[in-house]
Amino acid sequence: MTAVRVDESGPAIDRGDVFLAVEPILVMRDLSVRFGALRAVEGVSFDVVPGSITSIIGPNGAGKSTLFNLISGALRPDNGRVHLAGHDVTGKSPNRLLAAGLARSFQITNLFFELSVFENLRLAAQRLEPGWRSLLPAKASRAALQRTEELIERFELGAGATDPAGSLSHGQQRRLEIAVAVATRPRLLLLDEPTQGMSHGDTVETSALISSLAGELTLLLIEHDVDLVMNLSDRVMVMHQGMKLAEGTPAEVRANADVQAAYFGEVDGA
Amino acid sequence: MAEAGAVAAAVAHNEKEGERTLNRLALAFVALGLIFAAVAASSGDVFFFRLASEALIFGGLALSVDLLLGFAGMLSLGQALFFGLGAYVSALVLKNLLPSFWLAMGITLAVATVAGMVAAVISIRARGVYFALITFGLAQVVAKVVYNVPRLGASDGIIGIPSIRIHLGLFDIDAASPAGFFLFCLGFMMLLYAACVYLMRSPAGRVLAAIRSNEDRVPFLGYPVGLAKVLAFVLAADVAALSGALYPMLRGFVSPELLYFEVSGNAVITAIIGGAGTLIGPLYGSVLIVGLRSVIGSYTSHHLIVIGSLFMLAVVFFPQGLIGFIARRREQRRLRRVAVVP
Amino acid sequence: MHGLLETLQFVYAPQVVNGLSIGVAVILMALGLTILFGLLDVINMAHGEFYALGAYLAVSLLAAGVDFWLCLLVVPLLMLPLGYVTERLLIQRVFNRKDRHVLTLLLTFGLGIVLEDAYRIVFGPNTVRVDSPISGAANVLGMYFPNYRLFVMGVGALIIALVWVVVFRTRLGAMVRAAAHDRQMASSLGVPVSRVYSGTFAFGVALAGLAGVLLAPIYSVFPTMGKDFILLAFTVVIVGGMGSIKGAVIAGLVLMQIQALASLYISPVWTEPLLFGVMVLVLMWRPQGLFGKLGNG
Repeated sequence: MTAVRVDESGPAIDRGDVFLAVEPILVMRDLSVRFGALRAVEGVSFDVVPGSITSIIGPNGAGKSTLFNLISGALRPDNGRVHLAGHDVTGKSPNRLLAAGLARSFQITNLFFELSVFENLRLAAQRLEPGWRSLLPAKASRAALQRTEELIERFELGAGATDPAGSLSHGQQRRLEIAVAVATRPRLLLLDEPTQGMSHGDTVETSALISSLAGELTLLLIEHDVDLVMNLSDRVMVMHQGMKLAEGTPAEVRANADVQAAYFGEVDGA
Repeated sequence: MAEAGAVAAAVAHNEKEGERTLNRLALAFVALGLIFAAVAASSGDVFFFRLASEALIFGGLALSVDLLLGFAGMLSLGQALFFGLGAYVSALVLKNLLPSFWLAMGITLAVATVAGMVAAVISIRARGVYFALITFGLAQVVAKVVYNVPRLGASDGIIGIPSIRIHLGLFDIDAASPAGFFLFCLGFMMLLYAACVYLMRSPAGRVLAAIRSNEDRVPFLGYPVGLAKVLAFVLAADVAALSGALYPMLRGFVSPELLYFEVSGNAVITAIIGGAGTLIGPLYGSVLIVGLRSVIGSYTSHHLIVIGSLFMLAVVFFPQGLIGFIARRREQRRLRRVAVVP
Repeated sequence: MHGLLETLQFVYAPQVVNGLSIGVAVILMALGLTILFGLLDVINMAHGEFYALGAYLAVSLLAAGVDFWLCLLVVPLLMLPLGYVTERLLIQRVFNRKDRHVLTLLLTFGLGIVLEDAYRIVFGPNTVRVDSPISGAANVLGMYFPNYRLFVMGVGALIIALVWVVVFRTRLGAMVRAAAHDRQMASSLGVPVSRVYSGTFAFGVALAGLAGVLLAPIYSVFPTMGKDFILLAFTVVIVGGMGSIKGAVIAGLVLMQIQALASLYISPVWTEPLLFGVMVLVLMWRPQGLFGKLGNG
């Protein structure tokens, strides 16, 4: 399977006056899924450029999380294709997608609450070891342990690392949620409302963390906090009623009249 | 880096301490077995050797229940299916094919692996109590069939299984010798136990703990949940069947009762009273239960009422079981010591 | 043509009626199980033993000279407080723990063992027969069918209908369903949730007891009588969808017809694996069973 070339304008990152054409890491073509009569996602086509931070915004019920589920293998699309780094991955199971370099976090914290913070991370980092090592003693998994230590430090989870994940504060759990997804060293990371329910201070810190990740992987996020999105993202896609309403740089999206009407006009100050 | 390194070291230390406690309890189990053997042998006993061998064999069944319940969080109410399967296959091989220990074990292992895969395909999609009820039904149906198939001896089972010699390279063990077979069972069960411990402490084993904690998240960490559960199920089936394969060597017969729900239920009781998730707990539990039944049995035939009550008390007040309780007490004491010395 | 009719009349019809009769009996058992699961999330492994207790109480009362018809009323009433206390003392202790499904299953399993052994002590290990309160037989579709069986079918259907009405058409039922659906919400609306749970458990236990009395004259009474029945009842509940009354009724009727008709062609030994196979197929197709859960409907 050769890489999918994009027919229209081709994706690009605008870096001042240099205009680089790049092979997209994620390509969605005409994705649709229905739940009974509800068209949750309808004909969405979209590309994500490697190394970028791309955000999906839209009012509640716009189909953002459903789109995430389609990309991450949690749901199978009725129609359309998903390509990851040039390979067709439509309908592949989450574990195979992870092997292909795609990880995700969840909007509702989805951790191993009875296991320690350390163990949560190590379980994810274990994937970095070759498969045959999974039958050797866990303490021999040096790469996994090292990765776990690294993440504990980076996400500042050291204080409660031996405690069960369920005993952490909400903000810490949200951070661990991201860290667990990052631990697998994905090429593309999907973050579903990473700052959901966080205090202002935590949100600022998390936002800094996210932008620090941008150097090493591609980020696609769903976020409600519009200010955060506009500051953080290279590109923004706006969804409305299951469809793509607009896409472009934050400035372009902000100036788009449809977006103004459908989103900013509707949800005041969200 | 220093802080994070310290965390990893602390985690590793905690883990090592926890594992050491269980290792010591396992060694203590062997030591108790050897002391018992010395005392029983010096008094020329047969009865208690046989009883203790039986406790070990049923301990292996409880161990297989613990693999599923204590690690993957899957409650099997039909583990007797594989125990009975092992007993029947072993009996048939010894009686009709060749009275060879290794052949019986090899064929049992192969048959149990295939049967385990089939049963896993049927039951694995179901979760929680659904899984429990399907395994319950599966075992019940197979028991009914065995009970009614004349070629398997129907309700009588298979009798007249020849006594064998077990060739262990350097020396032989006569399965008919009470002391010899007891020691062999002890060694065999400890090998099974060690293999289970090794696997459950490996990264693959930890994935089972993750499945138990939050099954839906596991695929997003890159692990195929279905495959992991099938492997755990087959492993448990093999452990149960290999334990069951020793039964006809001890008793010289097998009967459909080995497949009944009483046996499955008893294994669950044993695993929980002994301490689910500890692996050595089920072996202690089996000794406790078999011993208790024998003691109560000398007064009355109603041992079930006592064991059932004990089990209910354990579920309500000691869900971590005997060994789980001891291990936790030691852990708390250790942490308190660490806290006192800064 | 004539031969076909005769085959239908003398070979199939009796099996259909027979299947219907067993079906109603199994549904009576399954009903209590499915209610306890649908409303309380409890897998009652001791259900068969409560059924046996109902039968034994009837045996004792009959021996004391109590009329059978009175037993039908008295035994369930006697079982109510027993169920209530069981829920208070056992189920409620583990109800707020994480693995409550598994823990309640284990607890009731332990209770079943204890009860079964207790019956051996109190009532003896032997099989007891209960005389049928209605004698004679009626001609049904050209074959003679015991009157009492016909009576049980009728009364069974009535009980099933009554239970449905209580759960779905009364204020009490609405309260119970509310408590099952959202404990906190129901509690804040003034539903005495804890007592409702105990009451519901008592109701399920009483239902098992009633089935015990009703079926005692048909099947014999012995300590493990519940155990032989419980797998069938669980199969029905799983196929119908745990917690669904409608599912239990439909699955009970269909499965027992399959069993009755299949027994014309295969040895009865194999009908149980057949039913189990049907259950597995249904589960592969619909893991939640045919119908949804009670609390949500």
